[in-house]
Amino acid sequence: MDMRKTGMLNEDGIHIDMDHLKKGEVNADRELRIQERTAERPLGPTLPIESRISSLRSGSAADTQAVADIVQYNLEQFGVEYDMPPTTQTAAAMFQELCYHNKDRLSAGMIIAGYDPRHGGQVYSIPLGGSLHKQSYAIGGSGSTYIYGYCDANWREGMTEEEGVNFVKGALQEAIKWDGSSGGVIRMVVLTAKGAVRHLYLPDNGYTGPGTK
Amino acid sequence: MVRTGYDLSNSVFSPDGRNFQVEYATKAVENGGTAIGIRCKDGVVLAVEKIITSKLLKPGTNKRIATVDKHVGVVSSGLVPDGRHFVSRARDEASSWRRFIKSPIPTSIIASRLGSYVQMYTLYSSVRPFGVTTIIGGWDSEEELPVDGQVGSGPKMGAGGKDESLRSGGPGLYMIEPSGLYWGYYGAATGKGRQVAKGELEKLNLQNGTLSLLEGVKEAARIIYVAHDDSKDKDFELEMTWISGKDGPTKGRHEEVPAKLREEAEKAAKKALEGEDEEDDSSKGDKMEE
Amino acid sequence: MNHFPQAWGRPRDDIYGHYDASFLQSSGPNQHTQSPVVTGTSVIAVKFKDGVVVAADNLASYGSLARFTDVKRLRTFNDTTVIGFGGDVSDMQYLDRVLSSLDIKESYANDGHHLNAKNLHTYLAKVLYKRRSDFNPLWNQLLVAGTDDDGKPFLSSADLLGTTFSAPTLATGFGAHLAQPLLRRIVPDEAAVGGITQEAAVAAVKECMKVLFYRDARSLDKYSIAVVTNEGIDLKEDEKLEAQSWAFAEGIRGYGTQVS
Repeated sequence: MDMRKTGMLNEDGIHIDMDHLKKGEVNADRELRIQERTAERPLGPTLPIESRISSLRSGSAADTQAVADIVQYNLEQFGVEYDMPPTTQTAAAMFQELCYHNKDRLSAGMIIAGYDPRHGGQVYSIPLGGSLHKQSYAIGGSGSTYIYGYCDANWREGMTEEEGVNFVKGALQEAIKWDGSSGGVIRMVVLTAKGAVRHLYLPDNGYTGPGTK
Repeated sequence: MVRTGYDLSNSVFSPDGRNFQVEYATKAVENGGTAIGIRCKDGVVLAVEKIITSKLLKPGTNKRIATVDKHVGVVSSGLVPDGRHFVSRARDEASSWRRFIKSPIPTSIIASRLGSYVQMYTLYSSVRPFGVTTIIGGWDSEEELPVDGQVGSGPKMGAGGKDESLRSGGPGLYMIEPSGLYWGYYGAATGKGRQVAKGELEKLNLQNGTLSLLEGVKEAARIIYVAHDDSKDKDFELEMTWISGKDGPTKGRHEEVPAKLREEAEKAAKKALEGEDEEDDSSKGDKMEE
Repeated sequence: MNHFPQAWGRPRDDIYGHYDASFLQSSGPNQHTQSPVVTGTSVIAVKFKDGVVVAADNLASYGSLARFTDVKRLRTFNDTTVIGFGGDVSDMQYLDRVLSSLDIKESYANDGHHLNAKNLHTYLAKVLYKRRSDFNPLWNQLLVAGTDDDGKPFLSSADLLGTTFSAPTLATGFGAHLAQPLLRRIVPDEAAVGGITQEAAVAAVKECMKVLFYRDARSLDKYSIAVVTNEGIDLKEDEKLEAQSWAFAEGIRGYGTQVS
């Protein structure tokens, strides 16, 4: 249908998520570039769904925000009703259901990353059709096509947190370099038993900082 | 009991704070065949004494223990149709959980949801409470489960940052009464023979977590036989189901105990009973006629 | 007041004549029909004297991008049936959940009766046909393998239109063009099935997977293979193609540096 395309912001972000660090989870994404406007830039596409679960969105901002808001609400309900925090799987299942059953109305590619003590750090990818893929690391968005090689060559089993952060940052720098629709700052969130720690890296200093400060 | 009129409606308390309709429902349960559940270290056993009400009924049919989800079973004592409705609700709860969360419902949660459901039938004058006490047995996977339908598997070495000291899953056993009251139990009994059965269950020291599932099957059969009152009911069938972990005999599923094993357990149960009788007889100094 | 919202803010019919509102229906008839997004390629299968061998590679493509390389497209049911899925992965996952709920519903009866491959094929074909009749198809091609009511090997296909087809060898997607003729050479008809050993069937299927990897650009050299018999299912999900040979490249002549 042509109608749903009209008035939609065409935007792209590139997202990398990675799983299996010794202590948990890193996921990161680069700032999105919206073709018509840049007003959303400082907000960034990572959205904490629960304290230790994050979703990364690419595609239509309106669509993915609507989906993420619904899941966030449902997960809050879950936490209150069953007196236990939802797992990453629960979040992923909810995202998948919405993306799958509304596939003809949504333009949403999502990555769900989270940490819980039982399952450790996990990454799920939900591409356009609404299928659910458990992955070691997940990449998405326009810039991702440029870094399939980088990620495949540089990802290793059992990286430390620092190695994970560097892997993600390195991948995003490549994507920014080669993808005309990617650019700006690198936002990252590290999810571990300690909680969610946000990082920010600026092009001003060659993406070396300010980091977590 | 002096009839005061406070027993006519469900939503009306008596002056001393009782809901008579719920108490009458409990009476209905007390007339049902004995049902028990045993929480063993590696699984759960459910058993029921199915009184044969007519010789015209085909043996082994009209099952009284129901499967609610792959890993959850339910047995009830009291009014059979009420039990059936309860099971149907339980199945709805389990499947709606699967639709929404895409994983098996934890035993504790299905017990809690059904507890709330039963309790609602004590609040309104337009309904009567459930005439059943229900035992719910389940096994929650101790392993990590995939989201239903998921593909892919993540790192070969598994996810990082896991709290290895955490123990998840295992056997679960709950009993819901007509009031909606429910607790988790090591061993649960309801129906006619509940007093005897509870006494026997206590002797098993289930809280130690040492009884194995196979021993549990033997004990469950024995307890149903012990609790059976020959003077009141002539014939009964023993119906038994079990649920083990992934490495156990049922691979995490709620299934009927295989006929061969059940028959063995029944044989042992009968033998144990005869043994008891002999002891009783010898103490009286009488000889038993064969 | 006019109660039709589409008339609000428009010229009055009684003064200006009938208003042409056709442009307001911009979406036309209700459309569900999607197109597949993340897709799996061929599934191939062949009957042998005691059962069926099925195989599919572990790739889920995103257009021409080999996006997910660990996707298991052979799903088991009841420890008696294997279903191989080609086409859309999200719809495969949906069908997987449908089958899982069917499995639970079947266990309610507790009468010792279990659905076999033939029953499942009938069921799935009807689900697929129902969905295509709603103009909302499940974008898959399936091969269902197992045994029938008499315990004999069963193999049948169903697709997004609800079409069903049965033969001693079957293949979906590219496999229908490339693997099917090769398999037919070994098992030409139902009568030949009795003469085929498990080893011969497995070897034929493995050879076909290799041919498919050579010539299907949406395929992968990692695959899953299952052998279904009355004894159960032997499913291997992490197989690698063996003994590929691209040495013919040396002999190619005719352009650039290779003209000599």
